[in-house]
Amino acid sequence: MAVSSESQVDGGDGASGEVAAKTWRDTLGRIKRDTTARWGLYVISVVLVVGLYAFVDTYLSTLTFGALDSYTMAEAIPIFDHPEHLPAPGESQPNQPPAFHVDGTLEYPLGTDPEGRDYFTRLVYGSQISVSVGIVATLLGTVAGTVVGAVSGYYGGRIDDILMRSVETLYAIPGLILIIVFTEFASGGQRNIQYAIIGVSLTTIPIFARIIRSRVLSVREMDYIEAARAAGVKDRYIIAKHIIPNSFAPVLVYATLEIGVVILIVAGLSFLGYGAQPPTPDWGRMLAQSYRYMHSNIWLSIWPGLAIMFTIMGFNLFGDGLQDALDPRIDN
Amino acid sequence: MRLLRYTLFRFAQAIPVLLGITVILFLFINMTPGDPIRIMTAGQEVSESHLAYLEARYGLDRPIHVRYWDYLSGFFTGDLGRSIHYNRPVSEVMMARIGPTLLLVLSAFLFAVVTAIPLGILAAKRRNQPSDHISRIVALFGVSTPSFWIGIMLIIIFAVQLGWFPSAGLVMPWDAPSDAGLSGYFWHMVDVLHHLFLPMIALGTLQMATIMRVERTQMIDSLQGEYVKLARAYGVSERTILRKHAFQVAQLPVITLVGLGLSTALGGAVLTETVFNINGMGRLLIDSIQQKDYQVVMSVATILAVIFVIGVIITDIAYAYVDPRVTYGEGE
Repeated sequence: MAVSSESQVDGGDGASGEVAAKTWRDTLGRIKRDTTARWGLYVISVVLVVGLYAFVDTYLSTLTFGALDSYTMAEAIPIFDHPEHLPAPGESQPNQPPAFHVDGTLEYPLGTDPEGRDYFTRLVYGSQISVSVGIVATLLGTVAGTVVGAVSGYYGGRIDDILMRSVETLYAIPGLILIIVFTEFASGGQRNIQYAIIGVSLTTIPIFARIIRSRVLSVREMDYIEAARAAGVKDRYIIAKHIIPNSFAPVLVYATLEIGVVILIVAGLSFLGYGAQPPTPDWGRMLAQSYRYMHSNIWLSIWPGLAIMFTIMGFNLFGDGLQDALDPRIDN
Repeated sequence: MRLLRYTLFRFAQAIPVLLGITVILFLFINMTPGDPIRIMTAGQEVSESHLAYLEARYGLDRPIHVRYWDYLSGFFTGDLGRSIHYNRPVSEVMMARIGPTLLLVLSAFLFAVVTAIPLGILAAKRRNQPSDHISRIVALFGVSTPSFWIGIMLIIIFAVQLGWFPSAGLVMPWDAPSDAGLSGYFWHMVDVLHHLFLPMIALGTLQMATIMRVERTQMIDSLQGEYVKLARAYGVSERTILRKHAFQVAQLPVITLVGLGLSTALGGAVLTETVFNINGMGRLLIDSIQQKDYQVVMSVATILAVIFVIGVIITDIAYAYVDPRVTYGEGE
């Protein structure tokens, strides 16, 4: 008896697995055909490659030389200067305009900052925080939100009430304010990017929990879940193996769109001084610094902002394309 | 009458959320590793007896639940404690700052709604035509650009380069000179708008873009609805259909969006106030954290969350007012 019902469960799972695989293939095909998603993917790839390069280089040089300011791979490549090195006195060329400007030179494609550092290099090295924090914080929020939402939707009743009320309360505190207060107090005044990441992921939990929960409520009623339950499969196993995989598609779309939102928030946090701490270069912090040179060198304010916009736009385009690709109402 | 009952019902529902907000913020602030007094006095020579005195003065020597109860009861009686930095009651400090923030946020929403809804409708009506593409691109830029960078760019272009608008500060409508007379009051309002214009656009762009996107999709959906087909079959003019039938239904998700957008806008106000040097609640929050004035931090965060909750309730009531299908609770 037990054997037969278990094989039934497996059969059900196999069937839903096949359907899932077919849907995934379908979706990938649609994404490939979708111009918006494709462009989004190109932009994301560019940003990821740049960010990864900056991250690996910084990490390696920290490993081998102990500190960022000793040496980086960048100096071996002729187009890059060191992001933090100050030029020797006398050789410094502060506030150079970008290369396309009449006074600009190709040596500094985007000009230099008031300390004479190459701005292009700083921009490249500034990418790592935005991108990595954007992805890591969204990932953390997705995992936590998925667990909360799945448990809440699967058990229902009092557990559902308690979890969803707590999540709603979290959602009722304006995101940026929650993150700032959390970062300040969790770190005891010693601001650190790790606390900012946890703070940002806290604000994304409610969104993912609600999406997953509403999906779980319908998946829960499916025959194969009932069969699994009748066969005596543990709740924890049902949630992990059946409920979550079958409720995940909308979360994926939302997560891609959310990465853009998170990068937007992280830029704001860094601008206010709650994100990356010196000496890590970061776009938001670069804007906070350039803000003071608004009258003398406007280029400093333009490039990091454009970089942030470009990155977020990539994730938004990809998310929009993904949404269209997964939307059953839209038939390509 | 029914609407009144629904209003009371919604406010009653919000009470647990408001209590939850105070619990979360209180826990955050008490989570600080090491006690707040030591952070406050970091880097100064303070005797042990003075530390004990400070602890007693701010009530930190009592158990945590007693302190929470004090805080909560103080909140409902309007006694929010004393600000260490300003040496004035917290409520007094906040009263002076809440006006600019509300003015800024409300005008940003006004700007967003007034521009986004007509543009969204236009895009839906002329789907896949040039005006649709343009408005979609504008919306994409809007959701991908950080508000503080828009602010910086607006200052550089319109304040620094062209000199058309002031780059900092805000003038309150109710601060008109008392002996001004009618024409004096008129010029005062012009001054208010003159100062408000740039920050309003900086803060409102994200809202505008978000609302525009939803308005467009909703209108497209709505224009394909059965009731619109029926109205067309009856020979109702396109104008009337657009204005009456399609429009009203499409507004429902937009109303919800406006309520939830308040959360982003209140967070964004922190950034906008920083960029434009406006003495509002957001600036107060950041400054108080800098000054370790935790009584103020706690109160500002709570008040901003309360404003958001009230905003959501108001939009819920507006939703119920517009949508005839909503039953006002209690199985009516």
